[in-house]
Amino acid sequence: MAKYLLKRLFYLLLTLFLIATITFFMMKLLPGTPLSNESKLSHAQIQMIYHTYGLDKPVWQQYLIYLGGMVQGNFGLSFQFDNQPVSYLLATRMPASFQLGVQAMIVGVLLGIIVGGIAAIRRNTWVDGTMTIISILMISIPSFVLAILLQYYLGLKAGAFPVAGWGNFAYTILPTIALAGSPFATTARFIRTEMVDVMSSDYIELAKAKGLTQTGVVYHHALRNSLIPLITLIGPLTVNLMTGSLVVENIFAVPGIGEQFVKSITTNDYPTIMGITMMYSVLLVIVLLITDIVYGIVDPRIRLQGGQS
Amino acid sequence: MKLRRVLALGAVAAIAAVTLTACGNGSNGASSHKGTLNLTTSAEMPGLDTSKVTDNSSLTALSNTQEGIYRIGKNSKPENALATKTTVSKDGLHWTFDLRKNTKWSNGDKVTAKDFVYSWQRTNDPKTASQYAYLFEGVKNATAIQNKKADVKSLGVKADGDYKLDVTLEKPIPYFKLLLGFPIFFPQDQKVVEKYGSQYGMKADKQVYNGPFKVEDWTGTNTKWKWVKNSSYWDKQAVKTNTINWQVVKESNTALNLFNSGKVDRTQLQGSQVANYKNNKNYVYYQGSTSAYLELNEAKVPAFKNQKIRQALSMSLDRKQLVNNVLQDGSKAATGLIPSKLSKNPQTGADFAKDSQVPDVTDHNLSKAKALLKEGEKEAGISDLNFTLLADDTSTAKQNAEFLQSQFEKLPGVKVSLQNVPFKNRLTKSSNGDFDAVITLWGADYNDPYTYSSLFTADNSQNNGKWANEQYDTDIKNSADKDANDKQARYNDLVDAEKTLTKEVGVIPMYWGTASGSGPMLQKSYVKGVIYNSAGVNFNYKNVEVK
Repeated sequence: MAKYLLKRLFYLLLTLFLIATITFFMMKLLPGTPLSNESKLSHAQIQMIYHTYGLDKPVWQQYLIYLGGMVQGNFGLSFQFDNQPVSYLLATRMPASFQLGVQAMIVGVLLGIIVGGIAAIRRNTWVDGTMTIISILMISIPSFVLAILLQYYLGLKAGAFPVAGWGNFAYTILPTIALAGSPFATTARFIRTEMVDVMSSDYIELAKAKGLTQTGVVYHHALRNSLIPLITLIGPLTVNLMTGSLVVENIFAVPGIGEQFVKSITTNDYPTIMGITMMYSVLLVIVLLITDIVYGIVDPRIRLQGGQS
Repeated sequence: MKLRRVLALGAVAAIAAVTLTACGNGSNGASSHKGTLNLTTSAEMPGLDTSKVTDNSSLTALSNTQEGIYRIGKNSKPENALATKTTVSKDGLHWTFDLRKNTKWSNGDKVTAKDFVYSWQRTNDPKTASQYAYLFEGVKNATAIQNKKADVKSLGVKADGDYKLDVTLEKPIPYFKLLLGFPIFFPQDQKVVEKYGSQYGMKADKQVYNGPFKVEDWTGTNTKWKWVKNSSYWDKQAVKTNTINWQVVKESNTALNLFNSGKVDRTQLQGSQVANYKNNKNYVYYQGSTSAYLELNEAKVPAFKNQKIRQALSMSLDRKQLVNNVLQDGSKAATGLIPSKLSKNPQTGADFAKDSQVPDVTDHNLSKAKALLKEGEKEAGISDLNFTLLADDTSTAKQNAEFLQSQFEKLPGVKVSLQNVPFKNRLTKSSNGDFDAVITLWGADYNDPYTYSSLFTADNSQNNGKWANEQYDTDIKNSADKDANDKQARYNDLVDAEKTLTKEVGVIPMYWGTASGSGPMLQKSYVKGVIYNSAGVNFNYKNVEVK
């Protein structure tokens, strides 16, 4: 196990290094400068300012300087936020995205399991049909459409929730629902397929033959075994949600990180592009590693290399 | 039966609740929050460092929470702020300002002439890397200092005691008073700048204020902050509003929903929303001073060197259709490069855009355009015209480009292909001359024609199309040189230059439009006393009142 972990850790660092390198050089190919007043500055004026920021150095030198800073946890200073440290930007903008992501994940996955489970038990009845239609709707309606509808009808017309902004828990409800649509639908479809599969397996027949109740069979045997493959799905889905959604955050005026990623690229804010990319990558590789480890623990059929089979 | 009755009752209650909430939103004259103004902005406030600020949110904040020599009032008139008396030498090169005594920063420090000297030197110091330092061009040694050819201390600004400021210029700057009302020219408290170092201006409490309001609750990256009345402001009795709340809202539909739910007092409208709200009693239109024009690259496409071909393209364009059917946001059809309401004739008060108008050239006339094209092509020795039109990749820019394409292609033998690229990419291509024709937008820095006119002299780095005209260059030179101290002569020079540019079609003017922070808006009628100017910092909230 230890050997396996060490090996995985090595690959993890290698992956991060490659991502940092490739992103850095691709980013330097972007046309234009990170200066917000660029359209009014002459070439000579831009060069003077570049000199102050060290952007007139050869790209490989900038790369080494950047890499050196990053190893020490210094992501540099943002251009769009007049020299605010990128780490500060991440620290102040992540929590909102993170909270919404986790809430949407919990709501979406829990509802998905319930709905998917019911559909599997009542398969090929009207219940199953309705649930299938709902989950297909949720997966095909883009989250921004859902967000706009929720805002207009529940926020403005009914006045039940705040229209937009960020404050107490009430402000998070509409964006959470909008974001939960996709994990809900994915989970529901997945659980239904898995459960139908498991329900027809031999050990379920055995459990029924033992005289267990329907609930007992479903809860102790069918559902539990269907949940295991869900672990692989939840990892990346969580990272995706935690790093924020550009559109939903904009519609509900949420101070999250989602929009900053896109904006940093369109404004050539080099340090912020690198900062957010690396944060996203670190989260993803760590979650993937955890997923693999957890998977090995919960499912004895999967053995890590060198396991005691 | 019972169930049905309960449902019916519930429905009635729900409808009543919704209606009542709607009524509570101040549909009558008065507001429910006197003394508090709730506003939105489409972008975060990136920083309040007076020397480094570049964006609209921050500039607006600084010009309402700090104060310089002048404050720009109604109709772009510079009014005394820290100055009590201004003396200008005959040649326009020496300015002396008597400063108001006993004005204070919000930390209790006195505001003195030394704060101006320090601030201006800091902004011009190349180490500061200010992106607006170029506005100091004309102040003695400013450009030399920015290019590291002179010492910072040699800048033409001196403090004579605490309350007298002497400024020396290299050449007269006729719009100098307007510049002095722009935040880049405001004073800075040296003690504060040095105390906070790299943190200066990065949070609300890492800056000091000497203007009508103070910034509070701004953490540097958050999306909600407020301005509160500054009790140490010298003219505080003129400030009638205690709090102005700001919230960043990037989606225009969200802002509109917030406005309709009564949470905010003003919202900017998009072109597609204007039709629905044009007759609303809250509809206001704040005309911006952005000019959109087409630059033709004469260095790359020889046909564009021919004046008749340029005229033909200009006349083939139906600008009224462009603003009414494509943009729909209240933009005006351009009759020249320089937008209306930017400046006025010093003698007659007539609008610059009216005075400089040239008949026919910007009027839509397809048959004349066809004839001109034919003559032009004959002179240039070509039989057809193919070129690529470069523009931004926003949806508005794409629609504009497609419209131009459809208009130009009505001319026989003209083929236009489109290239839409991100903003930064467009800027790079423009300045490298890597384009045939490009749609450029330029916003005015100050309410004076020179902010545009200076762009199209032969040697200006912003003249991407490389159009050149000796008469034009002479007029511009005279306006800045021999006529600089004669208001009317200078004005006439600029009018003549503009006429030349329009007649010769140095650029093809398209429309006079809006930038973020101006244009069509909904504003609650109980908001009074907002001062708006089309250039520089648009909004002055010193006297705003919520009734």
